Amino acid sequence: MKPTENKRRRDFTRGALALLVGGAALSAARSRSPKLVWQIDPEQCSRCGRCATHCVLAPSAVKCFHSYSICGYCDLCGGYLRPDAKGRNTGAENQLCPTAAIKRTFIENPYYQYTIEEDLCVGCGICVEGCSVFGNGSMYLQVKHDLCVNCNECAIARACPSDAFKRIPASEAYLLKSDQEKRIG
Amino acid sequence: MTAVGKNWIWFVAIMALVLALGAYLGNSRRADLGKSFDYSLDEYRVVDPALMGYAEEEPLVPSITNITSLAIAEDGTIHVGGENAVQTLPDLHTIALEATPTSLALDADRVLFVGLRDHVLEIAKDGTRKAWDSPGEKTYLSSIAADDWYVYVADAGNRRIWRHSKLKDGPPLEIGEKDWANDVRGFYIPSPMFDLAISRTDGSFWAVNPGYHALENYRPDGMPLSTWEASGMTIDGFSGCCNPSHFALLPDGAFVTAEKGLPRVKVHNVDGSLRCVVAAPNQFDDTVKGLDVAVGADGTIFVLDPNRNQVRVFKEIQ
Ligand code: SF4
Ligand code: SF4
Ligand code: SF4
Repeated sequence: MKPTENKRRRDFTRGALALLVGGAALSAARSRSPKLVWQIDPEQCSRCGRCATHCVLAPSAVKCFHSYSICGYCDLCGGYLRPDAKGRNTGAENQLCPTAAIKRTFIENPYYQYTIEEDLCVGCGICVEGCSVFGNGSMYLQVKHDLCVNCNECAIARACPSDAFKRIPASEAYLLKSDQEKRIG
Repeated sequence: MTAVGKNWIWFVAIMALVLALGAYLGNSRRADLGKSFDYSLDEYRVVDPALMGYAEEEPLVPSITNITSLAIAEDGTIHVGGENAVQTLPDLHTIALEATPTSLALDADRVLFVGLRDHVLEIAKDGTRKAWDSPGEKTYLSSIAADDWYVYVADAGNRRIWRHSKLKDGPPLEIGEKDWANDVRGFYIPSPMFDLAISRTDGSFWAVNPGYHALENYRPDGMPLSTWEASGMTIDGFSGCCNPSHFALLPDGAFVTAEKGLPRVKVHNVDGSLRCVVAAPNQFDDTVKGLDVAVGADGTIFVLDPNRNQVRVFKEIQ
């Protein structure tokens, strides 16, 4: 065997070994790094409506969340009633949500509770806008992880004008507005 | 052109078409959800010019930041609460505090009452300070008003008004407890916006009941006297779920009201009917909250604008 051939063979063996070790280290690091999921930072969301239109799922994996600890339980709820509502009641013509996904329940004079029917919610964010402008901002959007397929590149994140989509650990998959929130899907 | 060259042109053209189609689908799929998904307050932002009763003058600009509260002394000196301080305008004299005030008032002796979220700090004219006991854990002191006999403190957290006697003859009187039997509905305060002011004529006081869009008049002992309310997005009503966020009384007893959500400042007559508009929504940032208002002895209206960090000045159009 010529000395040059011998060197080439040695270099090849070294290279292959380095590749193997590198690959093993990378996959070990990967299995140790937490699984990440997409989530919306409610403080950054500008309620543009793209969460309803850009998800690969139809209806969107983004849903409205409601923080009961922040809510004022208002009779005149900016998230429930249209700005031009003629009455403060459950009449379809008064409701802001286009899919009637918000339920209004009388608690005691003058308090009302608002619950989101997730199956009907399309994540359009109109109620979030109304609640932020006129109320306490207790309604907000979140990616529901029992629905989301966790696309490598979230189609909404790509279209989001407010940079509100974040990659966060799956172990804490929601960016809730209040620690006291009971409703976590 | 060779066959290879032609094939390349076809390949590039097809790829461009595929990319353009992908971009189009990505951006416009279900993009138009329909008219029912529109949300616009534009029609309510426009005010009929005939309703404008005040014109804006040069604003006063404090040197402290994060301004929150406004009060006027009897001699006309304007006091502004902001980042860990109270400042007088226009001389910019600053009184340092350990926290940012949530409310502010002065009495005729120029004693300064500063709401520091959960307690009142009393600062005498000679600078001596006295911290009052806090009414409780949930306390959020959103407004203070003082006359010769009493200091009224609005506590949005507990939905109460605390009346402190200047004679210091006992614990504060609690005003605002629900009493359905006597038709007292209590204060309904969805967010910490709860303002009050003492009548200039009869010693009674007015308080906002913001969840009801109401202004309520009480005797000093807490007995209700009268009330009026006006709900609605239109210019003669109060919008949202907790408005007016602030108010002040004009020398003739009329109300200067300020709203959040649809920011606007108006004058309502004593019976609640709309007299005129002081500042229309398009004169403020959409997001502004906390437009505290005060009225000078000559009827000049001062509006604290936290977004611009200015005290804006409005004079009646003659
Ligand atoms: S795309 Fe972004 S800004 Fe628009 S509604 Fe979704 S999270 Fe909010
Ligand atoms: S208004 Fe839109 S985001 Fe809110 S509950 Fe209805 S569908 Fe969901
Ligand atoms: S990751 Fe995919 S499924 Fe989840 S919200 Fe984004 S586009 Fe929808």
